[in-house]
Amino acid sequence: MREAEKTFIGGLHEELVEDKVIDESQLEPDFAKEIRKYGGKDVMTCLQCGNCTGVCPISLKIDYKTRTLIKYCQFGLKKYTLGTRWVCATCYRCYEHCPANLNPAEIMIALRHIAVREGIVPPFVKTAATNLVNYGQSIKPDPDIDKVRKELGLGKINAEHPDFRKVIREIGVLVHASKYDKLIGIEAEVKM
Amino acid sequence: MSKYVYFFGCVIPNRYPGVEYAVRWVTGKEGFNLDVCDQSEFSCCPVPGIFYSTDKDTWLLLAARNLVLAQDERREVLTVCNGCLSSLLKATEYLKDPKNMGKVNRVLAQIGKKYTGIPQKISEGKRKIFEPVKVRHYVEVMTRDVGLKAIKEKAQHPLKNVKVAVHYGCHYLRPTEHATFDDLDVPVMIDNIVEACGATSVDYEDKLDCCGAGGGVRSHVIELANSLTQDKCNNMAAAGADCIVTGCPFCLLQFDNAQKSFPGEGIPVMHVSQFQALAMGIDPISLGFDTHNVSAHSFLRKIRGT
Repeated sequence: MREAEKTFIGGLHEELVEDKVIDESQLEPDFAKEIRKYGGKDVMTCLQCGNCTGVCPISLKIDYKTRTLIKYCQFGLKKYTLGTRWVCATCYRCYEHCPANLNPAEIMIALRHIAVREGIVPPFVKTAATNLVNYGQSIKPDPDIDKVRKELGLGKINAEHPDFRKVIREIGVLVHASKYDKLIGIEAEVKM
Repeated sequence: MSKYVYFFGCVIPNRYPGVEYAVRWVTGKEGFNLDVCDQSEFSCCPVPGIFYSTDKDTWLLLAARNLVLAQDERREVLTVCNGCLSSLLKATEYLKDPKNMGKVNRVLAQIGKKYTGIPQKISEGKRKIFEPVKVRHYVEVMTRDVGLKAIKEKAQHPLKNVKVAVHYGCHYLRPTEHATFDDLDVPVMIDNIVEACGATSVDYEDKLDCCGAGGGVRSHVIELANSLTQDKCNNMAAAGADCIVTGCPFCLLQFDNAQKSFPGEGIPVMHVSQFQALAMGIDPISLGFDTHNVSAHSFLRKIRGT
């Protein structure tokens, strides 16, 4: 756990120690606006009650505090919120318990949107997107499972259906239209 | 009776084909004979932990493409996975907003598709009325459309003396603004199905907690996901559970894979459809338990009473 913790939330801890002095140049005043742009609610309405951290299953395991992260968002400490955002399991417990109806889980999702646009694309996102444009599904077909399917008398998976080439083209068109291929860096994989 | 179209998603057909078999069997001729068809053009829902998390526009386009297929068949989407349920259900909510619908349809036009919802027979004067495509969960369809009485009647081989730890999974329950079919503080539907199959659903600590896999955590920090799963498994073992029954194949995958790294044999985990099929007397060989990591052998021996 320690190693993982370092890799994924280390950024926050090593740089933002208690007596760290932060000057204005490190603050991004438009950060709250940016979060709203990607579907998060206004972080300024957060009461800092801490219910979200209290019910967060992840906070029991690693030093991850939803409330603290929202506080950083209020301040505009954009770069210190980097690296924390992929440990949220989107269980939506914080949403159910937020008295300000802020929906912290959606804030985490907005932060992921921002991260990807800053060029921080976790490898598994790229893998899943590549699988989607190639097979129409987010995981790769498994030849061993295919054998089992045959034994059970189940039909072909959709990806191996003869008409599925049309679907792959359709997915390619949609992914290209929304510029997702460029965003994730999978332009070479897209078939149209 | 409603008409449905299967939406198996990614995990079931590619990792747990036994679940697909079970669902087809339970909803098919040997089971409840529902009017349900296949649609081979369905793609990934798309998975919320990846696409909803990184670009909502792309997510909505891909989800809308799937919804159009169901709309054109005039059928309800029968999902077997919490992820597919939450992704598609949320998409229908987004598409209720005419602005979103217009934006999506402008792009869908490039592939010759249009989302309107399903036209209704009744109309307001000349104006046609459209209802959003209905997205249902297998567990809900079983409970509401098939009914517990019928499930009980068909369970000719009740799984007596079996203690089951039921795991609902987060996206079955939350966010409550979308998932509103079960009691959200004390969900009962899977427990009821398990009990209708003759087994006992045991209560255990933190029953509604997350399996740990969702939101990309499993893919990103597997140790973190597994440590959450371990807590759950410990609580289930303390309650004396013989097996874990869940309605979500991604939770199933997490429980099944994570237990490889834990000490002990592990608790076999299965989808609620597999459990039902067992109680309805299916030959367990058809349930594909050999693709599961945690062996179901001793469990199957126990239910056969040998």
